[in-house]
Amino acid sequence: MKNQTSAGKKVLGFLGSNSVPIMFIIIVAICIPLSGFSPVFLINEIITRMGRNIFLILSLLIPIMAGMGLNFGMTLGAMAGEIALIFVSDWQIWGIPGVVLACIMSIPISVLLGWMCGKILNASKGREMVTSYIISYFTNGLYQLLVLYIMGAIIPIIHNSIKLPRGYGVRQTVGLLTMRQSLDNALAIRVAGVKIPVLTFLIIALMCLLIVWFRRTKLGQDMRAVGQDMEVARDAGINVERTRIISIIISTVLAGFGMIIYLQNMGDMATYSAHSQIGMFCIAALLVGGASVDRASIGNVFLGVVLFHLMFILAPKAGGVITGDEMIGEYFRVFVSYGVITVALVMYETKKRRAKAGMAAQLEAAQREEEQQ
Amino acid sequence: MSDISNNAATTPLERIQSAFRSFGLPRLIIAGMLLVLLIAAPFVGANFWMQITNVLNRFTWNGVLVLAMVPMVHSGCGLNFGLPLGIISGLLGATLSLELGFTGAASFLMAILLSTPFALVLGAGYGWLLNKIKGGEMMIATYVGFSSVSFMCMMWLLLPYHKADMVWGYAGKGLRTTISLEGYYDKILANFLQIRLGDLVIPTGAILFFALLAFLMWAFLHTKTGTAMTAVGSNPVFARAAGINVDKIRLLSVVMSTWLGAIGILVYEQGFGFIQLYMAPFNMALPAVSAILIGGASVNKATITNVVIGTILFQGIVTMTPTVMNNMIHMDISEVLRMVVSNGMILYALTRKTEVTR
Amino acid sequence: MNKRRLLFCLITVLVLVAIGACMMVIGRGHTIYFDNKSLEYEGQKYEAIRRINVNVNGEQVAKLSKKERGMATTMGQGFKFDIEVIREKDAEPERYSFDIRIPYGIDGIVVNLPGMIAELPQAAWMEEFIPAPTVEEEEDETPAEGDVMDDFGVGGDL
Repeated sequence: MKNQTSAGKKVLGFLGSNSVPIMFIIIVAICIPLSGFSPVFLINEIITRMGRNIFLILSLLIPIMAGMGLNFGMTLGAMAGEIALIFVSDWQIWGIPGVVLACIMSIPISVLLGWMCGKILNASKGREMVTSYIISYFTNGLYQLLVLYIMGAIIPIIHNSIKLPRGYGVRQTVGLLTMRQSLDNALAIRVAGVKIPVLTFLIIALMCLLIVWFRRTKLGQDMRAVGQDMEVARDAGINVERTRIISIIISTVLAGFGMIIYLQNMGDMATYSAHSQIGMFCIAALLVGGASVDRASIGNVFLGVVLFHLMFILAPKAGGVITGDEMIGEYFRVFVSYGVITVALVMYETKKRRAKAGMAAQLEAAQREEEQQ
Repeated sequence: MSDISNNAATTPLERIQSAFRSFGLPRLIIAGMLLVLLIAAPFVGANFWMQITNVLNRFTWNGVLVLAMVPMVHSGCGLNFGLPLGIISGLLGATLSLELGFTGAASFLMAILLSTPFALVLGAGYGWLLNKIKGGEMMIATYVGFSSVSFMCMMWLLLPYHKADMVWGYAGKGLRTTISLEGYYDKILANFLQIRLGDLVIPTGAILFFALLAFLMWAFLHTKTGTAMTAVGSNPVFARAAGINVDKIRLLSVVMSTWLGAIGILVYEQGFGFIQLYMAPFNMALPAVSAILIGGASVNKATITNVVIGTILFQGIVTMTPTVMNNMIHMDISEVLRMVVSNGMILYALTRKTEVTR
Repeated sequence: MNKRRLLFCLITVLVLVAIGACMMVIGRGHTIYFDNKSLEYEGQKYEAIRRINVNVNGEQVAKLSKKERGMATTMGQGFKFDIEVIREKDAEPERYSFDIRIPYGIDGIVVNLPGMIAELPQAAWMEEFIPAPTVEEEEDETPAEGDVMDDFGVGGDL
């Protein structure tokens, strides 16, 4: 009898802590038959999107480890990647060398932006997320100043296919045809009609290993300590500010690489809007995978990409079948993205408050006991 | 960082420095920028009085939306990034008022009346949520705003509106993205008691409407409940000890903010002449937030003066830069400038050390 | 410790810069246009040839009759290609191999095959490809306010 209830509790606890992924599995399960897509098509799409997005989402893990929450400032890295790609594309460096060069060029920009972001976040401890969110908007302004007015006017842009007809500024879309899917097609294999971009997955696997390894290094341990409790970490002799800045810099650099991988798959780049949505979608995907604001694993990333993107592919079609208007489905998936983030944030904050209240109650009880003695 | 703001300024120089510091460097820069723009405007061939008229108009459009920040800042809920929720209540009121066939001034009054219940209900729910997550208000407010906007995107398509000039012509259902207010409440406040002095046009009615709301807000802040709200914002522990029901006061402030947001968007629409649906409310919170911050407010302190000064400064910059810049260097960097200035201002406010909530 | 770290950083930066420089060389893309057209050089005329097949890495990229142009793309400055020249119908093809160097700063070059076969100096058969200037109407391509701030991405692919 007792065994049964504890098993029941365990099941309930499992359901409770994984409610978001379970909800998504249900949504996806309903939508798949409604949409009428073939399994091969779906698997193909999912594999492509995994290769495209996982690296970007991996960049979110390290700030979470350092207790800085969801890094909405990953957009900064995306912008750095885009700036690098504009140059590489203007210099006509093609294929995998182009991708590698873009990655290398994005590093200094990412480090600079990440350092700036980390500095600002250190000045606004306790509200990192909203600050990083505003930083992404602020930097978007700087990015546009650079791309729209400085590039071509002060920084030379050679090709007219990239420059605006007015003589300065970069066009709305920059074609990346010459490096389109160059990573994905190298070593790609086909299994029963499904294309598997082996090299991209190898890079992702390597990144995962690096993250696992990083967690065990001195710096990784420091970050976890900072994430647990800043004051305790400081007392233990960890340079908290520096550790936090490093975590943001790493995240920004990785996001830059991720964006380049993402864009080489897409094959062209919307200069002024490619980065603006990316932060939101990556964060939503991570949360769908069962991560929370203070805890995220590599498993969450993979599960999240699969579930979130299945929903993303299926929603318009399924929405069209249900309501007769595909637009509804498109709005629905956007609503779900924002909704998921909202729910995750609310859950995190209530948990934090409850923990705080619990601690306060304990303290009070201890004090009362002391007084009684 | 400015951690050396000791009040024991002795020499005159130090006193001037501390005065500057309290005014805030960004604010000073923005005020200076506006001044330069104002002086430059006649020289580059822009009509000075027309510019002033524009700034005045934009001030009346946005004033109430900025005013909607005040209650929540006062009660310590931080900047109301969830303003889109109030805007949605306003949009529901506006579309309902049109759907029910009201025209002219009546449509404006009905829009206010009809949006009120939505604002109260949504605001109450929003306030209840914010009470559950004290300390993380701003981030969650942002996403509550986004979620509600994207939810309403579906609703605008699905709700059974039928008025011919509001829905898509070919489908006969689903609201349009922009709905013209001609014949309804377009410029209804602005044209009331309008004064024309050559090129200078003063939208008296709209200014009076804003003044009325601002006065009511000011009066409210000096009532017993109002002072309690300020107490909750500045020191919740003390407020609770003084027997104030903190949660109730916070709830009230959120409802007020939401309602003012609803009124704010209606006033905006009457000036702009169109109802904008779907994605439009999405980014309306940020300009309002940065306006009040430019006016001198901080994350937990805001006055009516902040609202007035901030809206004039912010809207001044936004309206003046395009014309002046275009006339001067034939290059319109106003949009980018607006993004950098407004978001930079919010960042500046968020990084001030005094109000860390932890 | 600090010195070692500095050295380590410096080496990393140097290695990255070196890789970057290397990538800039080996990844530089060029487009090569093959012309089978008559060429006049120092008063002498080199006639276009009935048929030329161009192979790059054993793959045929162009089959050119008289006055035709084919193209191929390549990365890096060295470009090897083979051609099969068929002067008469059903004649045995003559085979030639070429290894040309493309100047770094040029995106596209045009090579004249008859000139190459005649082993003329490089200046005779190689010229820069200058794309015809496309007339563009002065449409304002700068992003509108909505595009810039559109955080929504409805309809955007992911």
